[in-house]
Amino acid sequence: MNSLFYPIIIPFIAGIITLLMPKRIKFVKEIIALLTSVFVLSIVIGLFRLKPLSFTLGNTLLLQLDNLSGFVTLFIAAFALLIIVYSFGFMKGKDRLNQYYGYMLMTLGGSIGAVLSNDLICFLAFWGFLGITLYLLINMGGPDAAYASKKALIIVGGSDALMILGVGIIYFMTKSFSMAGLSLPLNNGLAIAAFLTLACGAFAKAGAMPLHTWIPESSEVAPVPVMAFIPASLDKLLGIYFLARISLDMFIIKTGSTVSIILLALGAITILAAVMMALVQHNLKKLLAYHAVSQVGYMVLGIGTGNPIGIAGGLFHMLNNAIYKYGLFLCSGAIEHKRKTTDLDKLGGLSKAMPITYISCLIAALAISGVPPLNGFVSKWMVYQGLIELGNSGGRLWVIWLTAAIFGSALTLASFMKLTHAVFLGQCPEGRCERQEVGVAMWLPAAVLAGLCVLFGVFAYQIPIRFFIQPSISKTITYPGMWNASLSTGLILIGIVVGFIIYAIGSIKNLRVDEPFIGGEPLREDMKVSGVRFYQTIEDIPVLSLFYRWAERGLFDIYDQFRNILFFFTRILQRLHNGVLSTYLAWCLLGVIILFFVLR
Amino acid sequence: MKVLFYFLILPGFLFTAAAGLLSSWIDRKVTARVQWRVGPPFLQPLIDIVKLLGKETILPSTANKITFLLSPVIGLVGITLVSTLLWIMDANPNASFIGDLIVVLYLLAIPSISVIMGGFSSGNPIASIGASREMKLLLSYELPFILAILVPVIKSGGLIKIGQLLNYQAHNGVFAGSASGAIALVVAIICMQAKLALVPFDMPEAETELIGGPIIEYSGTVLAMYKLTRAMMLFTLPVFLVIIFIGGIELAFPAAIWGILKIVGLLVIIILIRNTNPRLRIDQAVKLFWGPITGLAVLAVVLAFLGK
Repeated sequence: MNSLFYPIIIPFIAGIITLLMPKRIKFVKEIIALLTSVFVLSIVIGLFRLKPLSFTLGNTLLLQLDNLSGFVTLFIAAFALLIIVYSFGFMKGKDRLNQYYGYMLMTLGGSIGAVLSNDLICFLAFWGFLGITLYLLINMGGPDAAYASKKALIIVGGSDALMILGVGIIYFMTKSFSMAGLSLPLNNGLAIAAFLTLACGAFAKAGAMPLHTWIPESSEVAPVPVMAFIPASLDKLLGIYFLARISLDMFIIKTGSTVSIILLALGAITILAAVMMALVQHNLKKLLAYHAVSQVGYMVLGIGTGNPIGIAGGLFHMLNNAIYKYGLFLCSGAIEHKRKTTDLDKLGGLSKAMPITYISCLIAALAISGVPPLNGFVSKWMVYQGLIELGNSGGRLWVIWLTAAIFGSALTLASFMKLTHAVFLGQCPEGRCERQEVGVAMWLPAAVLAGLCVLFGVFAYQIPIRFFIQPSISKTITYPGMWNASLSTGLILIGIVVGFIIYAIGSIKNLRVDEPFIGGEPLREDMKVSGVRFYQTIEDIPVLSLFYRWAERGLFDIYDQFRNILFFFTRILQRLHNGVLSTYLAWCLLGVIILFFVLR
Repeated sequence: MKVLFYFLILPGFLFTAAAGLLSSWIDRKVTARVQWRVGPPFLQPLIDIVKLLGKETILPSTANKITFLLSPVIGLVGITLVSTLLWIMDANPNASFIGDLIVVLYLLAIPSISVIMGGFSSGNPIASIGASREMKLLLSYELPFILAILVPVIKSGGLIKIGQLLNYQAHNGVFAGSASGAIALVVAIICMQAKLALVPFDMPEAETELIGGPIIEYSGTVLAMYKLTRAMMLFTLPVFLVIIFIGGIELAFPAAIWGILKIVGLLVIIILIRNTNPRLRIDQAVKLFWGPITGLAVLAVVLAFLGK
């Protein structure tokens, strides 16, 4: 058996074994899951060093591990290991663990299969399978999750149907199902249609607008590890991986062409609209879910630029986003585990209670807001340069995309400042500030991810770009700007040392602890500022409040809109079904007459 | 080693701190003259800082100690980094040091983040409200500010390194000399006023209602840190605008006076705005920045594309 099969088949087999395991047998499921994920990770590391690898069946190139699919596979396997470790803590004592671990392992196998596939049919099979495991995993959230999981299945599955159409068009044009070396020019309607239908699949998976609505919907009800593993990290990797595949290998996107502008516009709208929604959320998980949507915009923007620096930025942002968004969801899970709620109104002051979770979450929050020198900044900065490069080829719209992207980053910062305040800082509710950190299985994955945020930011050129990003794109990345991450980090650290020397010189030694000053009043419970209403001012701005009201009514939700259209037509048909026998007989008679008339 | 000298002594921390205190003296002196007072002696800002270093530091019982003490330091480091970068680029436009225009834009947000985090971590509800206003203020001025500093990028044909922008201005005349550049400069000055949280945009601190807002719980050495950061920003932000809009500061002797005059000129504009305006409410500020000022910035961008 070809070595590329192992990371696909082993999780499937292990998943089936776990699924069939009776409930009485404890710990074995966890151990199988752990061993499988460790095993898959080590195989993938081995394969990554041997790349490029391929597997040919007859004349078709079935599986292929090149630079791009190699690094995506590597991170899928690494993330899977982290989520299994995290689940030991989070899912302990929960029901249906055999299904949970079984589906998780199958998701791992299916994802690796989808990434390694070079044959479009093979790819569609894995891709479709992931939609089913996603549905089943969201459904693990209990009866409340039924609606959300149905919505996810319909959006993701519907986009799969479009992708099948796209694959059909490609077969019609080229008589081949192979992705590699297709390089179709986007110069006729058919090619553009094929590209857009395939891009729909990538968008639905990654959660770019307008196919994003399943992510916020399921965030509140699905188990946190599922949200962290699938929509926040795995689906970003898969969706943007596929978008990169179709934009780089399968089609040739010219700068300034219609398709390029569609991608850029969708990216910019996704960034701004989703982050504006995130600003006003009251629930931690829903807030994070809107950011998971918003960040996709940067990746789409980066790939839409079509120049090496922009594409590299988009791919790097995909990786970075998977890391910090994953970490943020894991932290939200830790909070939910301890406080049994993710309602921002009811949280507060947790920085003392859960210091490790606080620091991991803060680092991830600053990284997603693009604060230098963390990883989110580097990739955003690369995307911005890609957008500025667009201007060199004569276009003028780049200013709009660039402004949207940078401004979106400021809005992201605002939203995460609100989160940090509402969850970790400010007052503790009911004076519950005693230390109650989660177990090591739960804080360790988040801490590892926070460490990666720092590492990939400070040594951006030396590690991620050199080993993962640059090899994935054929052209050399040239930087019009400059950012020396390691030097500035060194200076920042020295500066912090100097700051503490100033503290030492000053009077910090005789630090006195005293009650906070609130104009002479004692601090009372009802003075608590939770932070949920921080951006009420923005919500109340006339034009924006209109949009918020529309969004609340589901006007921008493509799922709701389609449902309305569908129901409009079914309502007409419903009228005909009035239960009166004579009406039905009349219809039958009419049908028979038409039949006779036709068959005459 | 050389970099360390740049960062800590000249043109980094010590130089910027000294120049910042000088700027804050100018601020206080001009303010005093506007109000028909004599104003403080030359060394007063330094004396204030030294005095604060010796005062007792009080830690509120509700605070997260590490975040509370670390935030002022981070802000100070952020502005020092920006200042070092700008001056090294100004002295030698062909040097490659730290980063470009986008990096500066991001680094300039760090002092604001430090104020916000500091306010949040004190656990005082008044500080939380003040810090949330600081955040909203950042959001509101960020949009026109981005557009304004894109004008030089557009006019120079996509250059984003600070040194390249200086060289471009040396050969083709300063950006502020054109219609689009002048409008962008006006927008940037207003945004700078908000970045410095000076009247009419001092609602985060709003002494009369929020008693200092985010810095309400700060005292002694940690407060000195914030005051110093504020003074350094008062100096560095005009330098930033001079570099990207008015051709930078030449460091040879007679020409340097002209450069210093540019900085002091911007400083005096800030001080006069601050002394002749009442404080806005936060919602008014958001509407002002996202409405008319962004409109003005868009006009500047359009003019820049038209080559005006």
